[in-house]
Amino acid sequence: METFSHLLYGFQVVFQPLTLFACFVGVLIGTLVGVLPGLGPVAAISLLLPATFHAPPVASIIMLAGIYYGAMYGGSTTSILVNLPGEAASVVTCLDGYQMARKGRAGVALGISAFGSFIAGTLGLIGLACLAPPLAAMALRFGPPEYFAVMVLGLAVLVFLAGGSMIKSLMMACFGIIIGNVGMDPITAQPRFTFQTDILLDGVGLVPLVMGLFGISEVLLNVEESLQSREVFQTKLKGLLPNLRDWRESIWPIIRGSVLGFFLGILPGGGAVISSFVSYGIERKLSRHPEEFGQGAIAGVAGPESANNSATAGAFIPLLTLGLPSNAVMAILLGALMIYDTPPGPRLVTAHPEIFWGVISSMYIGNAMLLILNLPLIGLWVKILKIPYPVLFPLILLFCLIGVYSLNNKVSEIGLMLLFGVIGYLMKKFKFDGAPLILAMVLGPLMDKALRQSLIMSGGSPAILLESTICTVIFAVVAVILFILPLLPVIGRFRKKVGEAEEQT
Amino acid sequence: MPFIPPSGLGGILAYFYKMKNPDQYSGIFWVLLGGTVTISSFFYGVGSFSTPGPGFITFLAGAVLTLLSLVLFISSSGSKGSGQSLRSLWEGRQAGKAFYILGLLVAYMFLMPPLGFLLSTFLLLILLFRVQATYSLRKVIFLSAAATIASIIVFDVWLGVQLPRGFIGYSLF
Repeated sequence: METFSHLLYGFQVVFQPLTLFACFVGVLIGTLVGVLPGLGPVAAISLLLPATFHAPPVASIIMLAGIYYGAMYGGSTTSILVNLPGEAASVVTCLDGYQMARKGRAGVALGISAFGSFIAGTLGLIGLACLAPPLAAMALRFGPPEYFAVMVLGLAVLVFLAGGSMIKSLMMACFGIIIGNVGMDPITAQPRFTFQTDILLDGVGLVPLVMGLFGISEVLLNVEESLQSREVFQTKLKGLLPNLRDWRESIWPIIRGSVLGFFLGILPGGGAVISSFVSYGIERKLSRHPEEFGQGAIAGVAGPESANNSATAGAFIPLLTLGLPSNAVMAILLGALMIYDTPPGPRLVTAHPEIFWGVISSMYIGNAMLLILNLPLIGLWVKILKIPYPVLFPLILLFCLIGVYSLNNKVSEIGLMLLFGVIGYLMKKFKFDGAPLILAMVLGPLMDKALRQSLIMSGGSPAILLESTICTVIFAVVAVILFILPLLPVIGRFRKKVGEAEEQT
Repeated sequence: MPFIPPSGLGGILAYFYKMKNPDQYSGIFWVLLGGTVTISSFFYGVGSFSTPGPGFITFLAGAVLTLLSLVLFISSSGSKGSGQSLRSLWEGRQAGKAFYILGLLVAYMFLMPPLGFLLSTFLLLILLFRVQATYSLRKVIFLSAAATIASIIVFDVWLGVQLPRGFIGYSLF
């Protein structure tokens, strides 16, 4: 009952005209980003981050969250119509979605993915509203050693699931920790790795870093490839509403995908990509006609699309309750919340209930908006798909330049962004993943603080990190993740699949 | 090429020249970076377990980065990785365009304050639209002008970002 009244309060926050508009803009941009291959939610959120500094924190964070789950909706459109996933979580949708389109059922595929996403988003929201407050209350009992352990776990899982070489991902996590600790030491106020420059005194800015790593580098790589205009499946879109048989075949995959996606989304490093793959695998195993998968089975669209949407709701739990991001998007949102002076964590629910419940409620409204946006506007998204990249990329670059300049009205911020653009470009060339870097960069200062506080508390004994049961269990899990799981061939194949999916987008 | 430690400066240079796997190059880069961070951390003060200093965590991260980079370098020395050479990372691609764009952006960074946002952005966009597009100059000028003015309206007028006016300034609004 209490949760219900809190949700009502959240709806009051969302129904303010400015917040409602921010939610609409967020899901609209999110859908657009999902539709456009080569521009993912991480890049889009980082591009828009500076623009939000001029708006109230609630509206800003609701808009940024809207981009994230909106992208999951939009990603399915390109998968189904072009066989080209708009973002990594929609790779699986290509398998059956595009086949459905080839058989003249593009409308139904788009329809079921929109309805499935809506149902999953709603179920995910209910889970979020019920689970987040008790978890936040529990997290209040965490001390520095427990926080340090949870952060190490988050990094370990992300490194493990990043796809590609685990050594390279671990290296990126170390590099991220180093970058995160550039600037004034919070305990002694001593500058570290600032090279006697003012720009680095407050640390490496999150915005120039993510814009460089995900915005500039992406453009540099894409112009090298001279992207041709995409062939959109030429068919008249009709019958967006699934019939009774379609619903019968889809409803359980939607429910299973929703539950699975939600819980996988909570796990650090888990999230939309993994949950869509696992959901597809489960549906194929459970199906009476597994041979239809890959030939246009509607369950192969409904399950993964529901799972990746539900995962976005789950991913907010560790962020809002523990202040720990579970993936790169959440890491940027964490950075944004810190910039707005509303640091997430167990105290967010009491200190800033408008943000906590506002974000949760906005996801429901946002999901409804997406359903309305996606079905009637599919024709528009198809047209946008045809915008040639040579017109698009100068505008993306312009947005990066203004966005990063507007932070402090300094051209040196542009220089920092370009530096990280080059680093990101080379990282992609040499197959280094950016996600562990971002997460570690955001967690770096928090890890530094938690580790040093733990050691000071114990009088210099590192054993404090293993004293409590929570810490022991977490570090045991970390050891299993880093040293035992990679040896299993099944896990190796799964990581490869995820890595390939991320490379495709 | 299996990893056999070379001797002397000439041997090291010859080894670098013969390296095939891109991971060997990146391994060396990260070893140098990690090593520099580890050593620099001592200057900031690593401290002890009971009183960890400002350089404590960067020392740990730098040391682990160095170790992992060494593992990457040595493991990639025994294989050719995915059969790619360093040159192949840019083969069949129009890398010149990427470097050209990067050059334009660096030039923009230096020219924006004296020239002002209006003029520098307009010129930048003209050059960027011409990189891949085969549009007529008239269309490119129209697109560039529209995007520049739209960004001034959104960022300068609506959002209050103080974009540099430069020597010509602009009194449009």
